[in-house]
Amino acid sequence: MAEIKRRDEAPKPTKEPKKTETSASGVSRREFLIGSGAGVAGLVIGGVVGNQVIGKPAAPVVEAPAAEVPAEGEESPYKAGYTLVFDSVQCTGCMLCAVACSEKYATFLHPEETANLASLEFARIRPMRFQYVDVINVCSYCNLYEWAEGSSKFPCEAVCPEEAIITVPEGEGEAGYYGMGYKWVDREKCLGIDKCWRCAEICEDQFASGMSFDPIDRKAQVCSRCGGDPECVKACPEPGALSWVPAARNGRYFANTPSDYAELLYRKIYNHVRDL
Amino acid sequence: MAEYFGFTGKIARVDLTNETVTVIEPAEEIYRKFLGGSAMGAYFLFKEGIFDPKLDPLGPDNLLQFMVGPVTGAAPNARITLVTKSAYNIYCASTCGGHFGSELKYAGWDGIQVVGKASKPVYLAVMDDTIEIRDAGHVWGKGVEESELILKSEVLAELESREGMLRDADLNPQWAAMRPPKRLGMHAKRLAHVMAIGPGGENQVWYSCVVTEGARAAGRWGAGAVMGSKNLKAVVVRGTKGHKLADKKTFLALVSGIQKSERGDYFWRSYGTAGIGANSAYVEDAFPIRNWQWCSWADPHVKAIAGPFMDQTSFVRKVSCYGCNLHCLYPVEVTSTDPLMDGTMSDMPDWEAMGMVGGNLGFMEMEGTDPGQPFTGSIKDQAEHLAKLQYTTFLHDNYSLDFIEGGNNLALVMELVQRGFIDKNDLDGIDLKWGDVHAVDEILKKIVTRDGIGDKLAQGTYETARYFAELKGKPEIMNYSMTAHHYGQPAHDVRSPADKNAMEYVTVNRACAHTGGGTAGFKTGDWAAAIAGQNVSAAQNSLVHCQFPAGHWAGSRIDLIKAATGWSDFSDEDLQLVGAREYALSRLFEIHIRQLKDPKAEWDRQVPPRWFNDPLPTGSQKGAVAYEGKPDVLFNEALPAYWKERGWTEDKGVPTLDTLKKLGIDDIAGSIASEHL
Repeated sequence: MAEIKRRDEAPKPTKEPKKTETSASGVSRREFLIGSGAGVAGLVIGGVVGNQVIGKPAAPVVEAPAAEVPAEGEESPYKAGYTLVFDSVQCTGCMLCAVACSEKYATFLHPEETANLASLEFARIRPMRFQYVDVINVCSYCNLYEWAEGSSKFPCEAVCPEEAIITVPEGEGEAGYYGMGYKWVDREKCLGIDKCWRCAEICEDQFASGMSFDPIDRKAQVCSRCGGDPECVKACPEPGALSWVPAARNGRYFANTPSDYAELLYRKIYNHVRDL
Repeated sequence: MAEYFGFTGKIARVDLTNETVTVIEPAEEIYRKFLGGSAMGAYFLFKEGIFDPKLDPLGPDNLLQFMVGPVTGAAPNARITLVTKSAYNIYCASTCGGHFGSELKYAGWDGIQVVGKASKPVYLAVMDDTIEIRDAGHVWGKGVEESELILKSEVLAELESREGMLRDADLNPQWAAMRPPKRLGMHAKRLAHVMAIGPGGENQVWYSCVVTEGARAAGRWGAGAVMGSKNLKAVVVRGTKGHKLADKKTFLALVSGIQKSERGDYFWRSYGTAGIGANSAYVEDAFPIRNWQWCSWADPHVKAIAGPFMDQTSFVRKVSCYGCNLHCLYPVEVTSTDPLMDGTMSDMPDWEAMGMVGGNLGFMEMEGTDPGQPFTGSIKDQAEHLAKLQYTTFLHDNYSLDFIEGGNNLALVMELVQRGFIDKNDLDGIDLKWGDVHAVDEILKKIVTRDGIGDKLAQGTYETARYFAELKGKPEIMNYSMTAHHYGQPAHDVRSPADKNAMEYVTVNRACAHTGGGTAGFKTGDWAAAIAGQNVSAAQNSLVHCQFPAGHWAGSRIDLIKAATGWSDFSDEDLQLVGAREYALSRLFEIHIRQLKDPKAEWDRQVPPRWFNDPLPTGSQKGAVAYEGKPDVLFNEALPAYWKERGWTEDKGVPTLDTLKKLGIDDIAGSIASEHL
């Protein structure tokens, strides 16, 4: 059993908040990986240890404000090692989570193109309405098992030919968007939906439906837990539907493809067996 | 094409006969005058000449419109309005909640219009700009629930239709060896939204509706029959383009304010309209019981229609429409000792259902008693009564039937049996007695398949009464038809002064609508206030947003329209004009398609005789009749005064040319009005 570490406070950055160029720190991507590898080896992702840090993400086109370091004694909203737990029985399908998520990342990544556009397509969380059941659909942070599957990576990460699905360590990333040991897609490396959809395919084939694609730059999108303070949880009006909790489990046991999850909910809620 | 905010500027026109899809791009002036939804639909009924009296509502020339408005999309409480010429030969503008309306806007459309008739069953697959007419043979004949779930997975985004690109070499050897054989590939997602008809619509039962999400319906005036007449099983929409807004920041802030306000709304967030039931029955005395012979039980122990009782018995979830925090729909799983009903997945019932296919069918009393007697049953009996109600709701939803008109229809037949006008020999051997859910089940099967007597009943309450009146040579049978303007009365009686006013049903622009508004004005004789209420209600159906959260919207409605469209000068007055335009157009539509020479006698006075003949036998308003028993005051004083206030003629209620000019619709309606002035 792996050791599980959890942090409820943002780390104090040891260096300047990063700028647009990954080489701004003076360290190449490869060197960074080697140099900091030991430091993040024990990092917890969704409660499971062992995700290799590939490198720093490419910064977004627009510079976001640097991470604010909380004052002494003040608790940071950004939490590492937490899990997004969803209960689709409590969900009413109002879509407020998706609206909040989509709006946040559309404004972050494409402020000009989306200045007059409200869309759900930038959402990393995508509830789906079947009939009488609503399925909350978001990346569960599944992990493969080394002893069985030859890897302990995320499945999407494992099949990515460009190593574009990355884990952003504490002290990196953009506060409120990504970092604190959660996933992110390196948009410079990602080949985009027109050339490659392996991450989405493996997710939907065996796990869930956590990958989506940005309609503007066509790159993959995955839930980065807003770097430790998820917007969807704050937006949700239904108690218990979405929780941000310090639970440490392999997400693959939360994950279902939407159709499968709907079938389970028909059993659970209505005592019905349906073949979707 | 001009660039619009709020709107997409495009309405799809699908011709099923020629299998073509064309795009209509209305001018900005048209959007400003009619917004969308019901008023825009009414505009197209005139523009396309659907007012032609010879045009068969169930023929290929009729125009069926799925219309949304400028705030449908990113705004909360989204609805869609279906506008057409009803099989009853009346104006149909029926709204429906769920996610469908928003999804249609996200796909880039302000509406879809369907004309013609397909040679075989088809459905429309709308994937953003692409609209395909696809074969629906595999779902034709199936109920709404099953059809919807099948069709939901058939409209895929481009990515989801791709072949898999993963090879074993992309995985670790161990993983490749462990990978399950069942390959889902990219086809697992289901995000599309469906509006479909069941067998009722397919067989053109006049009062069939169009259903989405299993239990939400554009319920009234028979849009489902028009859909069925076109061989159109469903419209399936998937939209990824988003909603363009002139001032997104303000818009989203207003939306957020509405949603926050909704979260404090205990009433709606507890039981939805189920919370109204017992109040209506015991306080307002306007609840339908046994074809409106009673409007309140003598014994308030009857509580199967109460929200708390339903919740304690059967509610399992809460369901919202897009962006709404009122979650007023409560799905249930029916639990009963009767195997016919046990295990059925259904919903609520809401206020209308609990009245029209609950109290009105005599489900709530113990056998051998009537609503005027004490209730002798137990809590278990009440739970069984509720089960009957929920099961009958399911039947109507799944067959795609309007349970308001349907409830009146069945209750009419049951009362005729009760009074000995007809017996089971007139009903193909079905003994249709009060409270018998098995008989209801059997007769509904006949109605939706139009088998035997079902073929007569499929034409709705008024025609059913007329059929039996002629068959038996007893014109008094017409006294039991609870219809105004030939369409069934919803679960608010007008004999009790505590609920709706008779003038509401007489003046509302969609036959016997319960959502027309203006109640307070009608009760006090303040016609200007009543008209303002009606206009706002019509404008809501044009925007299109729900009426339940209207209080939460009230302060920000105009600001939302401004933020969405960028029309900085848009005012409350403009919104009133939208409603006034729809009222003028729909009034002319009703007069012209029926070629009424004396509208008051031939149309406006067509109200349920029971209003004035049968005083309420029980309850807080015992002894009451409609309009204080003064129909002459209603039709000869109040109605002309109301017409005058609207700028219509006082003798016939025809909008004058002056009024049409002021409303800016003399170009499309002037010549029709001249014919009838």
